Amino acid sequence: MFAGGRAEDGAEARRGAGRAAGRGGGGRGRAVVTDISGGARLAAFAPVDSTARVDAVVRRLTDAIVLGLLADGEQLPSEAELAAQLGVSTVTLREALMALRQQGMVETRRGRGGGSFVRVPAEAPGLVDRLRGLTAEELRDLGDHYAAIAGAAARLAAQRALPEDVAPLRRTLEEMAAARDEAHLRRLHGRFHIEVAAVSQSARLTQEEIRLQADIGPLLWLAHTGEHGPSAQHRAIAEAIHRGDGDRARDLAERHVLDAVEHLIELRLREP
Amino acid sequence: MGEFRTLPAPGAASGSGAAGAAGGAVSGTAAGAAAAVGEIAEGVFGALHQVRGAVLATVGPAPVSGDLAGLRPLLLPRLGGLVSGIGFIAAPGLLADAPWYLEWWQEGPSGDPVRLVRDMDPASSAFYDYSHWDWFSGPRSGEEHTLAGPYVDFLCTDEYSLTFSVPVRRDGEFLGVAAADVFVRRFEVAVLPVLRRVPGPAFLVNRQGRVVASTTARHLAGSVFRGAPATAAHPCRDLPLALVAAQLPHAP
Repeated sequence: MFAGGRAEDGAEARRGAGRAAGRGGGGRGRAVVTDISGGARLAAFAPVDSTARVDAVVRRLTDAIVLGLLADGEQLPSEAELAAQLGVSTVTLREALMALRQQGMVETRRGRGGGSFVRVPAEAPGLVDRLRGLTAEELRDLGDHYAAIAGAAARLAAQRALPEDVAPLRRTLEEMAAARDEAHLRRLHGRFHIEVAAVSQSARLTQEEIRLQADIGPLLWLAHTGEHGPSAQHRAIAEAIHRGDGDRARDLAERHVLDAVEHLIELRLREP
Repeated sequence: MGEFRTLPAPGAASGSGAAGAAGGAVSGTAAGAAAAVGEIAEGVFGALHQVRGAVLATVGPAPVSGDLAGLRPLLLPRLGGLVSGIGFIAAPGLLADAPWYLEWWQEGPSGDPVRLVRDMDPASSAFYDYSHWDWFSGPRSGEEHTLAGPYVDFLCTDEYSLTFSVPVRRDGEFLGVAAADVFVRRFEVAVLPVLRRVPGPAFLVNRQGRVVASTTARHLAGSVFRGAPATAAHPCRDLPLALVAAQLPHAP
């Protein structure tokens, strides 16, 4: 368990550093290590939160399923084998498989001939075909356009929101948290962003949000496949609008789109 | 913002309140303009009272969605002018064959009436539930005249709109809502000549303080008016709408 965890933590750290450097924020990790003292040092040696590792495994397997690298009905290797391949503990793997089962992307059968089997979401194959039809450059441009619209709408929404305007956003977040199937969650996801745009009081921005969602929304959902409930980004956007913090609302809304597009481009580049 | 969230109670006569007395001639003009705006809005509510009467005449015991087609001869001629959409929105569960249902007509791109066909299936639409919208929840909670908006109406038209609505009740039972849409741009055309009669900047705000129409670029439709010194709000009759204008210390 310990060895597996360490190996993966290393991989996580490399990925994290790469991402931070890419966004111009590198060099933080070392400063933290040398600065820790007393209580902080103790905290550093506390058991590592395994959530991030579980999420990383879920993400990896979800991507593979969505992209069709793992076929519908295909049997996954045994837990011990898969855990070893992924460099995680079997506990971490089991948690990830449980999450995938809840999302309906993995089915586990007991008894002889049992095991974990891949279930490809019904809409995924069509979406992957669409993804293949777009170049990374086209995806980037779509993302830039969508981020501009979503960001501008969120900024105006924060400036113009009355308390009662935030109520529908909160309601949608609650429904997202309670949503049990992915199709429902996806519809609510779209509704949340349209509601944010409507709070801007701009009919044109709202129309553009609706149009872009029809255009790129289903694809972006590929990047969100496997998520459950609203993300921290959704909650933060609603909160910034509630507080009337336009700059933060815009930054968060742009980041929300660009993160998803970045993931989508990664998926695209993994395709032959 | 506080003061405009609690506009004078319905029935407080325009111009006879403290603002009217203190504001002298300007407030007198503003109060008169507010009443004139109220009259324009009441024209729309008049049409909704007719729709309500027709619904009560149409809906029998155990109604189904097809029954509501009987409203069409009344609804269609009321499109045009201020009204861009009009209809009846059933209380969830009223109709035996459709839990969520709108008999809603709006002007199509060519100006001809088009029936709004929305996906009202909870299994496939994230937008079927209209019960949270102000134009529905207001009448349901007992408001006689609801003026919702301005808001971006992504349910029907994707336009910046006002929705006027009244409850339809029989023997206390809430059957649904008769409602009409008025695009903000059309409302502006109708009320601007009235607002311009007020000396100085004047604008209309809804109950929440959101500006609906204005003669000043400092308070544009969609922005929130959070109060300002030396201004007075004049209710537009008993509607959740007020005209805000400068309050002069004394009449000349």
